[in-house]
Amino acid sequence: MRVQTRIFSIAMFVIFLEFAAAFLFPFAWMISSSFKEKSEIFAHPPVWIPAKLHLENFTILFTEKDFGRVILNSLFTAITGTVGGLFFCSMAGFAFAKYQFRGKGLLFGLVLASLMIPMESSLVPLFVIYRDLGMIDQLWGVILPRLTSAFGIFYMRQYCMTIENELLEASRIDGCSEARIYFRIVAPILIPAFASLGIIFFVEEWNNFLWPTIILRSQENLTLAVAIRALQSGVRTPYNLIMSGSVISVVPMLLAIFIFQKQIIAGLTEGTIKG
Amino acid sequence: MQNLYWKWQFKSAPYWFIAPFVICFIIFVFLPFTYSVYLSFNEWHGQETKTFVGLANYVTLLKSGDFWQSIVNSVLIFVLYVPVMLALALIFAACLSATWMKWTGFFRTVFFIPNITSVVAISFVFLLIFNADQGILNQILMSLGLLDEPIRFLETPWWARVSVAILVIFRWTGYNMILLLGGIQGISKSLYEAAKVDGANGIQSFWHITLPLMRRLLAFCTILSTLGTFSLFTEPFILTGGGPNMATTTPVVLIYNESFKNLNMGYASTISIFFFILMMILSLVQLRLFRERD
Repeated sequence: MRVQTRIFSIAMFVIFLEFAAAFLFPFAWMISSSFKEKSEIFAHPPVWIPAKLHLENFTILFTEKDFGRVILNSLFTAITGTVGGLFFCSMAGFAFAKYQFRGKGLLFGLVLASLMIPMESSLVPLFVIYRDLGMIDQLWGVILPRLTSAFGIFYMRQYCMTIENELLEASRIDGCSEARIYFRIVAPILIPAFASLGIIFFVEEWNNFLWPTIILRSQENLTLAVAIRALQSGVRTPYNLIMSGSVISVVPMLLAIFIFQKQIIAGLTEGTIKG
Repeated sequence: MQNLYWKWQFKSAPYWFIAPFVICFIIFVFLPFTYSVYLSFNEWHGQETKTFVGLANYVTLLKSGDFWQSIVNSVLIFVLYVPVMLALALIFAACLSATWMKWTGFFRTVFFIPNITSVVAISFVFLLIFNADQGILNQILMSLGLLDEPIRFLETPWWARVSVAILVIFRWTGYNMILLLGGIQGISKSLYEAAKVDGANGIQSFWHITLPLMRRLLAFCTILSTLGTFSLFTEPFILTGGGPNMATTTPVVLIYNESFKNLNMGYASTISIFFFILMMILSLVQLRLFRERD
């Protein structure tokens, strides 16, 4: 029996290694292709290590396609969206968890409603509203709809439920205002929740594509995902540049996951199980 | 006086806390939605003039069948990937929560990576991999002798759907695995020990203990995947642009093409309304399942 289990476990381990190879294969191909000449990408038979490392695939992106700016734009939208989202979602979640007030049911109904009306179903009117407000081609326009999310509010509400009422009452007796209670008492308690939800928000924002591609226009305002896709237009698609752009958008994330795998997976797991 | 102020700020605090959400809700959810309903009764190509056309857009939609085509496509893609994805996710979750498995942290990370890295980047790599004449997938399959002719992945309707399905499996298996891992770790160890005493082997206890207890969670994953499939956009948009012959046009791709490519804003709004109704029904089902889980 014991020998059998050992053989089984070794066999499964080998099978899993193959699965892992299959899951990493596209990333490996992406990285390999990012150093190739255009013709090498579709070479027959396939080439893994290019004859010459074409580093210019990367430099062209920065010199001709303004990718320095593009990366900053992505960082800006992802960080602002994340911080703002955490702030507003945690306040609303706190209010729903710890206050009794008139209209609570109705307001919570709105949260449920916003969960059920996906943004995809109102792309046209959103675009029209944005155009009328002059927010087309503005990075803020990407961030604004993401500042609150029903999921974030649910998540924070769940977490705030665990805060003890006595703690809040005691600070009220000490003369704390409600705003102060949020900043001085609630926010510090929420730090682990900020970390987990923050990872989710950041990842979503960094990879956000549909809405940015609709409203962003000029080269200097593009975010990474949109800029990579924008490389596709033109007579002949420069797949080598697309791949090096993809590497830029994916590799920092890959490194982060390998370094912080425990925290990131724990954070996302918490989110997925509760959400 | 002091007292009144303190009372007021206590009473009004929750409203201040919730105000940003309400403002965002009105601007980004409520207004667009009502406007969408209004636009759906108009013919409008994005210029100055809108023409009220009553139910004409609805009639066109029901007659042309574009929307139904997009639903059928989503259902077909769903059928192609969900069984494979959930089976894989369940096997991964079961093995990675077992004590005999090595490198579990590494495997979890690897399977989960595609889910959190850029969809656009991944879709472009698959565009290269699936290329009919020179893509690496066809080259590998042919050199292994599995194929004589290259498969035209992105150019024939069925293979295009399969390609989208493969991409979705790649992106979402890890996510479902994580959901299922949570469920498996919640199953009491004593159940497995009791089964072992009764002489059950690993596969038997997976079949008779793990699987039945995971039914709910699997149903939950299925609902999430259903919602996800109907709102699929980036993957088909980059891989096939919704083609060939609309074979991979999902509802959101259809809305995007009608509104921002063909500039049929009114008609696109009509499609949006149908899409909304569909998503609402699915979300209600999901909420019910979710409530029961709590």
